[in-house]
Amino acid sequence: MSKLVLRGFAQRKVRALLTGIAIVLGVALMAGTYILTDTINHAFAEVFGNAYRHKAVVVSARETLGKGSESQTYPISAATLARVRSVSGVAAASGDVSTRATLLTTGGKRISSAAPSLVAAVQPPRFESFTAVQGHLPNAANEMAIDQATAKREHLRVGEQLVIAGAAPARRYTIVGIAKFAGSESFGGTSIALLLPAQAQYVAGEPGEYDSINVAADPGISPEELASRVRASLPSTLIVRTGAQEAANQTAELEEKLGFLRTFLLVFAYVALVVGAFIIFNTFSITVAQRMREFGLLRTLGASRAQIMRSVVEEGLLLGVAGSVVGLFAGLGLAPALDGLFKAFGADLPDNGTVLETRTVIVSLAVGIVITVLAGFFPAMRATRVPPMAAMREGVQIPPRPLPTRRALVIRFALYVVAVVALRLFVGGGVALVAFVVIAIRAVRLRVRLRRGGERPPRHYRVIPALGRAIGLIVSWRGITGRLARENSVRQPGRTLVTALALTVGLGLVAFISVLAAGTKATIDQAVSRSFAGNLIVQNTRTGEGGIPGAIAPSLRSIQGVGTVTAIAFTKGSVRDLSQPGAPVIDENSPLTGIEPQSFNRMYKVEWERGSAATLAALGQDGTVLSKKFASAHHLRVGQRLLVLTASGHHVTLTVQGIIKEEAIGLFSNLTISRSLARSAFGQREDGVDFISYAAGANGTQVHDSINALLHASFPQAHAQTAAQYTQEVSNKVNKLLLLVYVLLALSVIVSLFGIVNTLVLSIYERTHELGMMRAIGASRRQIRQMIRYESLITSLIGGVLGLVIGVVGAVLVATLALSGSGYVVSIPVGTLFVLLIAAALAGLLAAKLPARRAASLDVLGALASE
Amino acid sequence: MAGSDVQGGSQAIVQARDLCRRYGAGEAAVDALAGVTVEFPAGRFAAIMGPSGSGKSTLMHLLAGLDRPTSGTVSLAGVELTELDDRALTQLRRDRIGFIFQTFNLLPVLDAEENILLPLSIAGRDVDRDWFDQLVQTVGIRDRLSHRPAELSGGQQQRVAVARALISRPAVVFADEPSGNLDSKSSGDVLELLRHAVDDFGQTVVMVTHDAHAASFADRLLVLADGRIVHDGEASSAEQALDLMKAIG
Repeated sequence: MSKLVLRGFAQRKVRALLTGIAIVLGVALMAGTYILTDTINHAFAEVFGNAYRHKAVVVSARETLGKGSESQTYPISAATLARVRSVSGVAAASGDVSTRATLLTTGGKRISSAAPSLVAAVQPPRFESFTAVQGHLPNAANEMAIDQATAKREHLRVGEQLVIAGAAPARRYTIVGIAKFAGSESFGGTSIALLLPAQAQYVAGEPGEYDSINVAADPGISPEELASRVRASLPSTLIVRTGAQEAANQTAELEEKLGFLRTFLLVFAYVALVVGAFIIFNTFSITVAQRMREFGLLRTLGASRAQIMRSVVEEGLLLGVAGSVVGLFAGLGLAPALDGLFKAFGADLPDNGTVLETRTVIVSLAVGIVITVLAGFFPAMRATRVPPMAAMREGVQIPPRPLPTRRALVIRFALYVVAVVALRLFVGGGVALVAFVVIAIRAVRLRVRLRRGGERPPRHYRVIPALGRAIGLIVSWRGITGRLARENSVRQPGRTLVTALALTVGLGLVAFISVLAAGTKATIDQAVSRSFAGNLIVQNTRTGEGGIPGAIAPSLRSIQGVGTVTAIAFTKGSVRDLSQPGAPVIDENSPLTGIEPQSFNRMYKVEWERGSAATLAALGQDGTVLSKKFASAHHLRVGQRLLVLTASGHHVTLTVQGIIKEEAIGLFSNLTISRSLARSAFGQREDGVDFISYAAGANGTQVHDSINALLHASFPQAHAQTAAQYTQEVSNKVNKLLLLVYVLLALSVIVSLFGIVNTLVLSIYERTHELGMMRAIGASRRQIRQMIRYESLITSLIGGVLGLVIGVVGAVLVATLALSGSGYVVSIPVGTLFVLLIAAALAGLLAAKLPARRAASLDVLGALASE
Repeated sequence: MAGSDVQGGSQAIVQARDLCRRYGAGEAAVDALAGVTVEFPAGRFAAIMGPSGSGKSTLMHLLAGLDRPTSGTVSLAGVELTELDDRALTQLRRDRIGFIFQTFNLLPVLDAEENILLPLSIAGRDVDRDWFDQLVQTVGIRDRLSHRPAELSGGQQQRVAVARALISRPAVVFADEPSGNLDSKSSGDVLELLRHAVDDFGQTVVMVTHDAHAASFADRLLVLADGRIVHDGEASSAEQALDLMKAIG
């Protein structure tokens, strides 16, 4: 029997190839994702390992709010450095600074990379991770060195000047060297500027203070020993690690961040695999139907049902193995392409060599094979029910499955329960829910069958023929070819449905996401126009790279024509509920907004659940207002007291004074406090955003120009935008993200195209005789081609229409059910959806190319003779 | 009479000269036709008989422009088929030839009326409603026009196929075992129809069959054996045809 499988495979090369691609692409994306992320992790581990090789011990500030929070750490003073130096066994110690900053050309153009830029302090040679490959490391206050990757990308040369903007007004530095970091050209796309320690402290806005201390050991003292000595001499707010521990720690933190990227990409891989499963299922179903005679013959010759089953499953297994192996190799090629994709979208990730871990091989092959075999399993079950009679004559029906006995039903039910519980426990609630729904549908269908006394429930494919005929109207003007295409496309509604569904999955997701994105844009639009009463919004030109210096607001106030400036700061804290016994932590890493109440009220209209503008004005140093979502999630009411541990290690007690309705811009965090409290108790030096309104009678354009001039000169990392410019920028960002998602979803759409090709090829094979007759009575090759093309067009449009409907309805449901409280505005991007439909149509025409050519080139006599 | 524009009398609608058709090459080459010269006059009903492998189907395929001869020529309604390219051949089949197949070959997705009109639809030609009505009347499927093939009996399907072959007023109708898949009653009906088309519409019909009874409906009987014509004469009765076949073995 296995020999038969192999031979059959060889005979149906085109089909095997087309079906194989369905699995290859999904596996390739999966393997590519693992390879890419492993490669990145590996590269970072190497970089960190090198960077900390010569540092026996590293002292850094404890992150009060736990690992992974973006909270700032409070700096290490010069006195602490002196104390470390005095510990016995310390050969040398040096304070290090590492701070986010903005690098610009003297013309004000930002050194572009999606990763944040850093400023670091030059270290004594024994600690220095940088080595100059050109020029030298900075010796003077106005000198800097830049990492080699950035120099290459931006064509920077020794002798040129750059502007560095941080917490303090920007300064110019001359590049005196180009350096490698820890032997690596690039540090994950991050641009690093190297300055003298005092200059780095100036940029960080912490004169005389450090972020970490590098320590070297006297000969004969192990890093571990030194670490415990240093630890004993320092307060517990500081963390002391050996260099190796620090490297591992940094690597682990980055891996955690990259975990998001991996999950993000894997989602698309699984989407492609699901689409692939549809296609495999469809192909196997069709071929089982076409091979009825063959199965009947085998049964007549004495093959058992199990043997028939095995022959089909083995075919699936073979396909799965072949497809997965090819997919794995394709993944090796795809990983750099993915990297390139992210580079194109501005995320430069390090990639030194390719890392193929055993896990990648095992997971990719296992998932690919299991999905293929599973998809082929149901058609295989069907094949076992082919009666021997099928060998004798045409048109023998496959009998319905026998009704399960009561005992089988009980066992089945028990298995289902176990499966759902296991999925819930070991995989996740979402998967378990999907499984539950599938099982419920099967149960209902079984019930219908039982009630009908074993009759198979009629398949209600009324929707597909109706939809197909309706869509077919667009080609009906093409006369008989259009008419035939219309009827042919709905001839086997089940087959058309599954083929179209493969496309529906991809297009549905695209539609879903584009509707949500359009809603996000509309929501921001509406919120800004409703609530914002000022004229300008000042923000970091790259909001992802942080906020703006707190020094901007006072500078703005001194500009002629500026009426009011209000600064808004964002910070974090760990919140305890004092009204509950034991004061439990209710949010460990809670975002807080700091506002300047007086000026804020004039610039922004707050929608109150409890309270009024007066509530904000009376916020003081111990008051807070909560977002409605946070308040209701933790059952907090006005008058209750909260204890907040701040990022700088202080404790503050706050009384709830009001509750704000959800707003869409995200200005209000869980808690809103006064900005002065955020600065004093939370150590929040940066602001998030400044709002500006012009003075009465001021010339807006002139004021905007003066503001721009100030920002350009002193704070080039920030820009002032009108409300319209701001919403435009938000929409641009959303569009960029959308484009990335589209590119990744394109893969599953491509997979579904192969599905259309496959179904068409198989249908044409089935209709060989019919096509021969049409050619005999005078249909031209062109007409045949046209007919197949239209058929494909209709199928792809069915998929497209279903996808759009499901995507739009899904998005609207999510928006109204899940986002209703947050002021989310539903917006349907009609233009985008129309373009999607056109794209689906074009895809269908493209998919028809090969099948149409095949159909048209059929030999008339041969086709007529086929039976 | 509707078919009177199709030339009556003895002018040949289809002419074949020295037709040879060889399959394969070298040692394994088989001559399906080994030099056949034959003419089919307009308005006549010819039956071609012969045992399996005698070349009768090959002859019909060559005459109808479905296959190309290894040597020799075919002219149909004054057109030299061997000089036509695929496109022109397709057009000729569409406009000048009607086909009736053993397996009916109706399109399952079209109803009976659409199937009848298919050749005109393919050609993009207007329907002559009077001619259509007359045909439908003749083949007797007026009450089945909106049915799909799956809802028709074999005999009804073949009658639809006959109407389809006649709808474009072709120069000649080729019928390949038209009664091969039918019971004797339906078979008789369909053969009557062909006879009727020749007598009343002046249609030219060339039929390939191995059924002596079917052949007896024709005016003329050609018998092929081993790629050559071994008999060409009146088709008087089924018995005579049977005898002939027996004689050939």
